[in-house]
Amino acid sequence: MTDVRGSGERTVTNDGLQTNGHGPEGVTEEFVAEWRDSAYGCFSSGHKFCREVCPVMQVTRNENHTPTAFHANIVAMEKGHLSVEDVADDYIHCVQCGACELRCPNTLFTGDFYRHRTRTVDVVKAMRALAVDSGVEQPNWKRWVEATMQASNEPVVDGVSQETVRDWAEDLDIPTGGDTILFVDCEAAFYRTSVARASALVLRQAGVEFGLMQEQWCCGGPAAEMGYIEHARTLAEHNLADWRAVGAARIITLDPHDYISFTVDYPSYFGDDYDIEIVHITELIAELLHEGKLTLTQPVDRIVTYHDACRLNKRKGIYKSPREILRAIPSLTFKDVDHVTQWSYCSGAGGGMRIERPEIAEEIARRRMEKAAELGIDTLVSACVWSERPLSERGAEQDPAIEVRDLMELVADAAGLDYGGVQR
Amino acid sequence: MSVVALSDSVADELRSILGSDYVLTNKSSLYNRARVPAPFPVHRWNEHIADIVVLPETAEQVSEIVKLANTHKIPVVPRAGGTGLADGAVPMTGGILVDIKRMNKILDIDLVDRTVTVQPGINMLKLNEELRRYGVIYPDDPASYPCSLVGGRIGTGGWSLIGARYGHTRDLVISMQVCLPTGELIEVGDGGGRKIRKSSTGFQLKQLFMGHQGSLGITTEATLELVSRPEAEFAAFFGYPDYETAYSSTGALAKSGLASLAGVVLFDEWKVDYLRRDDEAYIPQPPELRCVVAVAAYGSLAETKPASQVIMAIGKETGGNYLGDEVSQGDWAARHDRYATPLHGRTPEGQVVPMSWHCEDAAITYSALPMVREEWHAIAKRYIDDYGVFDDWGMFAYTNGAHKPWADYLVEIDIGIWEQRLDDTVWDAWVQCKREITEVSLKYGGSITACHGSTREGDAEFVPREMGGGFDVMKKIKRVLDPNNIMNPGKNRLDEAYED
Repeated sequence: MTDVRGSGERTVTNDGLQTNGHGPEGVTEEFVAEWRDSAYGCFSSGHKFCREVCPVMQVTRNENHTPTAFHANIVAMEKGHLSVEDVADDYIHCVQCGACELRCPNTLFTGDFYRHRTRTVDVVKAMRALAVDSGVEQPNWKRWVEATMQASNEPVVDGVSQETVRDWAEDLDIPTGGDTILFVDCEAAFYRTSVARASALVLRQAGVEFGLMQEQWCCGGPAAEMGYIEHARTLAEHNLADWRAVGAARIITLDPHDYISFTVDYPSYFGDDYDIEIVHITELIAELLHEGKLTLTQPVDRIVTYHDACRLNKRKGIYKSPREILRAIPSLTFKDVDHVTQWSYCSGAGGGMRIERPEIAEEIARRRMEKAAELGIDTLVSACVWSERPLSERGAEQDPAIEVRDLMELVADAAGLDYGGVQR
Repeated sequence: MSVVALSDSVADELRSILGSDYVLTNKSSLYNRARVPAPFPVHRWNEHIADIVVLPETAEQVSEIVKLANTHKIPVVPRAGGTGLADGAVPMTGGILVDIKRMNKILDIDLVDRTVTVQPGINMLKLNEELRRYGVIYPDDPASYPCSLVGGRIGTGGWSLIGARYGHTRDLVISMQVCLPTGELIEVGDGGGRKIRKSSTGFQLKQLFMGHQGSLGITTEATLELVSRPEAEFAAFFGYPDYETAYSSTGALAKSGLASLAGVVLFDEWKVDYLRRDDEAYIPQPPELRCVVAVAAYGSLAETKPASQVIMAIGKETGGNYLGDEVSQGDWAARHDRYATPLHGRTPEGQVVPMSWHCEDAAITYSALPMVREEWHAIAKRYIDDYGVFDDWGMFAYTNGAHKPWADYLVEIDIGIWEQRLDDTVWDAWVQCKREITEVSLKYGGSITACHGSTREGDAEFVPREMGGGFDVMKKIKRVLDPNNIMNPGKNRLDEAYED
């Protein structure tokens, strides 16, 4: 279960599977055997320090929706008390933000020594996959994934297709292929195209050479998050083949969800053959500012706060670069809320929550904007295009209204770039 | 007592009270409300399953649920955070589990009379996040501060890490609305006023409804003390070459007479050895460091600055070696979750295995601490040697008296239990070990539990002995308030109230 540092003779043991005579079978048995020991890492603690930082639990207050339950269910499956049918509904209630993993005492206080991080997001993904394999499907996720497979892109608006996936860049004269590819997320390519355009123009201004894919398909992340691993792999295989076909060695992602797909999911699919460098755009832009390759001179007279995208902050520990970028923008008043406080914040957009449990997602976003409103700001800046739709909707309800802008849009403003596109 | 199986018509009535979304009968809902972090007989999980779970949002709903249960003589198990280290929230005989987490609203903040009135499902950290803007806090600070809920603190009679300065839960709750076992909602406090801190009118009923483990009702609202947000927090950790020196130093610090003293904590040799396993604050400490004493002071700068100098002087004069600002501030900041994670667990051969945590919490006088320590460790060693699935994680002694920390201590021996190896033999051995530990506490004039409650096997059977004649009074009160024994049956031996 855990690498133990410091003493050669100490190893973490795996104990025998107990089924009490009526245990799980087949795929469930394999699943339980794989996850049981890490589940005991939580079950044996049971402290539930994760509970009040969980964005979902803060809304539903239902103990079934806690990370503790996600692990305890596996122990109960091992003992033959529960089946995947009994627990599948519990695992719908997770945005896969990773806050619980960080707040877990096993991560916080013995994590350094054992190089351990509690794995709850992976447990949720694996259980959702087991549910799909076992024929326990959620209707809206199923519909979403089917539509994605049909169009090769997520149905973020009506009529998405490969014919229109590059429309956002129509007048920008971006080449196809090359060493570096800008991967534009479905939400940015079809819904909030201003993010894609601003990102492209900022990169160009800083002298970064990049191209687009021949055929950009969905990254596959949402399908993987919803439990449709084979579908996710099909999409991933296409994208990797496309990158290889155009000679790409480096991918720039706009979207933190893509960043997770390319740095977590793809390596698990492709193993050692996967040799592509993945860069998130906030890290790259912060570096370009440091190196003086990009300068921001136009004043942006706004009072802003920054929304830590869950997958950057909580999953990947990226919280410095967005703040460095904001501090480089002239005239901006930046009212920061530290990244640890933001472990308990979320837009509700991740993990398929908006698709299968929209009312919970909406309430998570409303609470996030309520927190923002307490700061007396006029703009919330995010670095996650998926968060921007729900947060904009809830921001419009505040009095006075709070506008939601993408970090790259603000950078483009400060760089004096007229990027256009649809900003909603 | 007679337990009546829960019928479909009762479930329908509950749905009419709460709406169908908040009445849960699926297996996952039941299994996930069967245990708390205390050692749990996981091999007998299905013996601790409620029949139905309800998630009320208002006091009136709680009242209707309890009235229904009382009419049908169905057990009611109140559950708040489910973070207790004894079995208060564990169902013993099925019934209706009342999970109050949705009752988490702040009802009133009164900065003039310095109170906050809340529903019982709110967490203290979340409450203090809201209070921050007003410059006040609710200073109830258990190790479970980030996750336990106000209702559970009341039900168990909680203890706070900074109780020497600010008091414990029972000192910090000014008044409550309580749903009695017959369903009536009443208000209890000091006398009748919701915001009165001291009264001599009538009986002192408030304390009766503290720490009763859900056996006398369910708290549905609580009016809590607000104190000024402390201007300063001072923490100092001292190291010692032996237990005797650390013990004397602990006594001197606790008797310092400083009003800002929030707590003194003594770590014994076993605890320091345990921390040296994997805790990066303790691994680099020199081998001659055998024991540690932690001290904290809270309050205004005018109080804490001179207090810090007195603490430093006493610590050094009594043989302590200051461990530095980094350890002192870092360890105190991490006090809520530093000391017990499953990954600390070791078999006697040194293998790392995830272990669950038993946290003994006896209340023991200062004079008896050295003897209790020796006897408890000797008991633990026998069971470790005999069974190979237990682990001694050492002892803490914390100052226990609210505002008078000099005499008695919450004494904790932490024992790891390898849950994956639990069966009837190991569980019975564990309970026997627990009983021997309890016998020692009582032998030295102590109390079984300072804060977790005497609800688990190995504790509960000693309640009549510890309480003496008071246990007969407890039984009479229980029978009068709860004529049908519906409120959390099986706890504190109170089923005996119905035997004759």
